[in-house]
Amino acid sequence: MQSLLIIASDEWRYWSRSKLGAAAAILAFILICVSVFATTNQVAAEKETREALQLKAEEIFRSQPDRHPHRMVHYGHYVFRTPAPLAKLDPGVDPYTGTAIFLEGHRQNSATFSASYDGAQAGPFARLTPALAYQLLVPLILIIVGFGAVSREREAETDRQLVTSGVTPVEIWGGKTIALAALAALLLIPMLFGVALSGGAPAVSAAFLGSYIIYLLIWILMISGASAWCKRPSTALLVLLSAWIALSVLAPRMVASAANIAIPSASQIEADMDVLVALREVGDGHNANDPAFARLRANLLEQYDVETVEELPINFRGMVAKTSEEQLTAILNEYAEKRMTQQVAQTDFVRALSFFSPFIALQSASMTAAGTDIRTHHRFLREAEAARYEFVQGLNDAHVEKLSYADDLNRNTSKEAWRKARVSSENWRVLQDFRFSPDTASERISRMGLTVGVLFGWALVMGGIGFIGARRLSEVKNG
Amino acid sequence: MDNIIRELRFSLRDPVVALTLLVGVLLSAFTVFSGLKEVDTERAQIERVKQMVDDDRTYALADQSDAGGAAYYAFHFTYAPPSDLAFAARGVRDDLPWKHRIRMLALEGQIYETDAGNPELSRIGKFDFAFFAAFLLPLLMILLLHDLKAAEVRNNRWAFLSATGGDGGRLLLSRAVLRAILLFACIITPFLAGVIVSTASLMSAVVVCAVIGLNLAFWLVLSLFTTSRIQSGPTAAALLLGAWFTLTVALPVGGKLMVEQSVPVPMGGEILLTQREAVNDAWDLPREATLKPFYERHPEWANAEPVSEGFDWYWYYAFQQVGDQTVESMSEALRDGVAERDKAMAMIALTSPPLLVDRVMSQLAMTDIAAFQSYDQCVRDFHAALRAFHYPMLFGGKEYSAEAMKELPTFRPCASNS
Repeated sequence: MQSLLIIASDEWRYWSRSKLGAAAAILAFILICVSVFATTNQVAAEKETREALQLKAEEIFRSQPDRHPHRMVHYGHYVFRTPAPLAKLDPGVDPYTGTAIFLEGHRQNSATFSASYDGAQAGPFARLTPALAYQLLVPLILIIVGFGAVSREREAETDRQLVTSGVTPVEIWGGKTIALAALAALLLIPMLFGVALSGGAPAVSAAFLGSYIIYLLIWILMISGASAWCKRPSTALLVLLSAWIALSVLAPRMVASAANIAIPSASQIEADMDVLVALREVGDGHNANDPAFARLRANLLEQYDVETVEELPINFRGMVAKTSEEQLTAILNEYAEKRMTQQVAQTDFVRALSFFSPFIALQSASMTAAGTDIRTHHRFLREAEAARYEFVQGLNDAHVEKLSYADDLNRNTSKEAWRKARVSSENWRVLQDFRFSPDTASERISRMGLTVGVLFGWALVMGGIGFIGARRLSEVKNG
Repeated sequence: MDNIIRELRFSLRDPVVALTLLVGVLLSAFTVFSGLKEVDTERAQIERVKQMVDDDRTYALADQSDAGGAAYYAFHFTYAPPSDLAFAARGVRDDLPWKHRIRMLALEGQIYETDAGNPELSRIGKFDFAFFAAFLLPLLMILLLHDLKAAEVRNNRWAFLSATGGDGGRLLLSRAVLRAILLFACIITPFLAGVIVSTASLMSAVVVCAVIGLNLAFWLVLSLFTTSRIQSGPTAAALLLGAWFTLTVALPVGGKLMVEQSVPVPMGGEILLTQREAVNDAWDLPREATLKPFYERHPEWANAEPVSEGFDWYWYYAFQQVGDQTVESMSEALRDGVAERDKAMAMIALTSPPLLVDRVMSQLAMTDIAAFQSYDQCVRDFHAALRAFHYPMLFGGKEYSAEAMKELPTFRPCASNS
């Protein structure tokens, strides 16, 4: 045990002497700090803005003057997705989805204004979130610092001296691994602070942090393992660098391309057009004379035992609006679900291939823990849709019950009639408060199962390879 | 000549070189293939959606009896078709909108709609030829060149070379250049095949080759310079990696932060909200409040129609336009801001060869911010043409008829996008 620590501290001394490793580590540390600081502040500010906008939108809606209820259906309302605490470290899909939805009658709008709309385009690596810094950069820094850990000693044959002084090759490998792990731990400090200050639930914060620790452990074991297997540092570097490019840069992009090709998803406009065709059969809710509503009319006349719609105790136009909204929403939801299912299938395709790359596994685990994955976004869309349907139908109820059919019909005949065709602004209280919160901690943790399992598997395999490499080292020496 | 062939054989027998070249050609082919496929998909999609929207418009117009209803129900499909070179550089096409379904309501409420794909896939990033040639190529160069001199020294050939050939440095230089040329050939061949398949212009293909060549030359010079100073291969590689990291990560991260701090843009959400408020408030305002700013913009209709009491289409469309007018300055500021940010990024890109290659390629492929903005303008022009077509029927008393609707403008992609 003691010899392990001596070897580890010796390695640290070596790094601090070789300016290159130290410079790389310091540069990375600064970059990580900047990224944690900038992203945390930005997301926190976003959260505040969105919460304020949500309150404002609700207040504005409820303070509208007396109006025709259908005017309010089109006036609409905004809902905002407030980011979860850990989004400060991994904003996930947030910058790509848009964060506000406009809710109105007859339509399901998509989330608007993603952050990429007006952002400066600075290449593929410019959006350096803390998550990406740890997923992509820290492994590279560890490689630069650690690729020669064992192979350097082998090339210079200093390992023989160590072995003759009673240290086993496995201990050399173990000591170097510990040295690298200590460096990784040091680099993890900014994230530790970020997580602690984010205010996330303890269990899910631990799972989040834990997945990063296993991930870095994979790289540490890969580096010390490659270093033990390779006779020369240059070969070790070649192997590690190739692995980094293949696993962290190429694999995710190729898998994403493959997912797009394997599971094609319709564009929003195409889906909208499909909906439009399906809606033709439902009829236009603005036009009570649309033949599609003949059945409704007949049923109502029979139900209330009257001859004409004018005699109905309720507002027939309101009933048409309400019924058509109901039918239309069923169709809209059917297509929206179809689209979401496609997207989840694509995401699951990527997740299934995370066996090939710990980078993919960690990205997915991290977003899930942070509550910034696509499933959470879909839940936001569903909740927004439920809110939309509720207030629209609430307004339609007011239309049915509180506005007389005659007033409604005559609204365009004179200024006086125009003013008469209104209901009291009291009715705008049908609008419920909308507060979006991420899934519960246990739900998120249970969704991380597969990807964390993959990470553990990688760590085990890498540890095994490194251990065998180190054992082999001793056989070579003895033999 | 014999020397070149000997060096060629020597290089290809080195497993690291052979493997790197193989990986280079395979990846290049993959990006070109998937890029071509993506462009095909987009073109097919455009055809399909265009047909759907056209059919829908014909269907909807058949039922209409007045100009207001016709304008309300007639949707138009606007789009920016992918250029012939778009297979090589996706640019901002996955992030910013290039297709819309537009009608004659307030445009500001429609034009920001982004029809993006799966956000989790967008987040991972694209793997197109431009990404490969701009950002990955340097890494392959580092793998090929960092060890050139160190390997000779290690194998005790360096002393021999210097002693017999007289000039070992020249030999290494020609070896490095040869490897760079081999790598260049491996990468460019699939691209040229893509150019032939897509019938992209030869001129832009030549420019692409030139910028990629310059990128290679930059890394070649940097590698040679580093390896001439640093004896140890791994140290040289680490330094080169540091340079790569600085140019492709640190510099863009810093540059983006700086540009976004120094060039503010209005919040897009604010434009939508303001515009919507303006349109909705108009229902409750006296009509004069809406018509006054409208007539200021369109004095030609000022004494066209008396203001009637109930609902009237012309009033409805007047306040749609006034809604746009309310946010005109914000919307312009947003567009100017985006353009200015892009201009500032262009300056920053001058300091990083990979960024520059990426920019030049998306510029040639018309998938950059400028192309997006020209599409945006194209949609605005088309929307203005729609208004110019409908307004005489709404405000000028021109008779509405199915015959007159045959003159309805149809969208054509703007020249710079085709």
